[in-house]
Amino acid sequence: MFFFKRDKPSEALVLFGNVATIGMQLVVATFIGLAMGYYLDEWLGTQPWLLIIFLLLGIITGFRDVYREAMRLQRGADAQSSGPGSGPDGDDAKGGSGRQGK
Amino acid sequence: MAAGLAHPLTYSVILDQQLGLHLPPHVYYMWLAMIILFSCGFILRGRLQLVPGGLQNLFETVIGGLEDFVVLNIGEEGRKVFPFLCAMFIFILVMNYIGLIPGCDAATANVNTNAAMALSVFVYYNFIGIKKWGFGYIKHFMGPVIFLAPLMLILEIVSHLARPLSLTLRLFGNIRGEEIVLVLLFILAPVLGTLPMYFLFILGKTIQAFIFFMLTMIYLKGSLEHAH
Repeated sequence: MFFFKRDKPSEALVLFGNVATIGMQLVVATFIGLAMGYYLDEWLGTQPWLLIIFLLLGIITGFRDVYREAMRLQRGADAQSSGPGSGPDGDDAKGGSGRQGK
Repeated sequence: MAAGLAHPLTYSVILDQQLGLHLPPHVYYMWLAMIILFSCGFILRGRLQLVPGGLQNLFETVIGGLEDFVVLNIGEEGRKVFPFLCAMFIFILVMNYIGLIPGCDAATANVNTNAAMALSVFVYYNFIGIKKWGFGYIKHFMGPVIFLAPLMLILEIVSHLARPLSLTLRLFGNIRGEEIVLVLLFILAPVLGTLPMYFLFILGKTIQAFIFFMLTMIYLKGSLEHAH
């Protein structure tokens, strides 16, 4: 199958998947905070205050989630680049032999 | 095709008139996906072979690949929750692809289907977390520093409530948008316009199913690993 190379989900699928999740979190967390503040206000009768506080908390949560997600992706990328059989050793060897040839 | 655009005639409308059940279209297309998957399962169970061929090969590739991916990410505990994750992925994938058949609508192009799935994901990962950690599951909501715990509790609750909503809206928005684009392009240029879009949308629908699967996996990982 096209999307499964060598019995693994292909890299494009994982990459697209990871990146496409980030934006939504920011918006949705803000709206959840807004809704929580609005209904708590209606319940407790403290009209504008809880709405404002929870909206701010929602925005903070959204940014924190995006930050966490970015850190998770960064860690994944680091783990991949320092994995076995890749990286600078091969390049160095090639470059060295090239220079020796000249 | 997208429902709501000047009442397109889909197979489900005709079926509904015949049966007289007055059910919305996405219910019929969900049943169709279930019928396809169940019959695949029964056919394959009847003739499992040591050397797989054809359909069994396809399913072994997909399921084996996903299982490796889950175990790589969650660890050995991932095998316990893998059936749920894999069922989600294949079910959403089949429902998405049904939307590409002319005269059919994707069941995931309706908010209700996605909301039901996202809520079951929400309940499931919290259930797994409570089952594993007992009352200590609340530490997942407290953050690292004890005097910040009340603030972190509110932030985590907002964050956890945002999860099912974002799962629902992402899947719904993408699939519904693709269905509407297909209908509009079909109106503009009947076959030539839609055919190239099929390649893009096969990719898009697979990615959306995979995103749902992957996010569920990340949430389960979060509830299974130790609170930090």
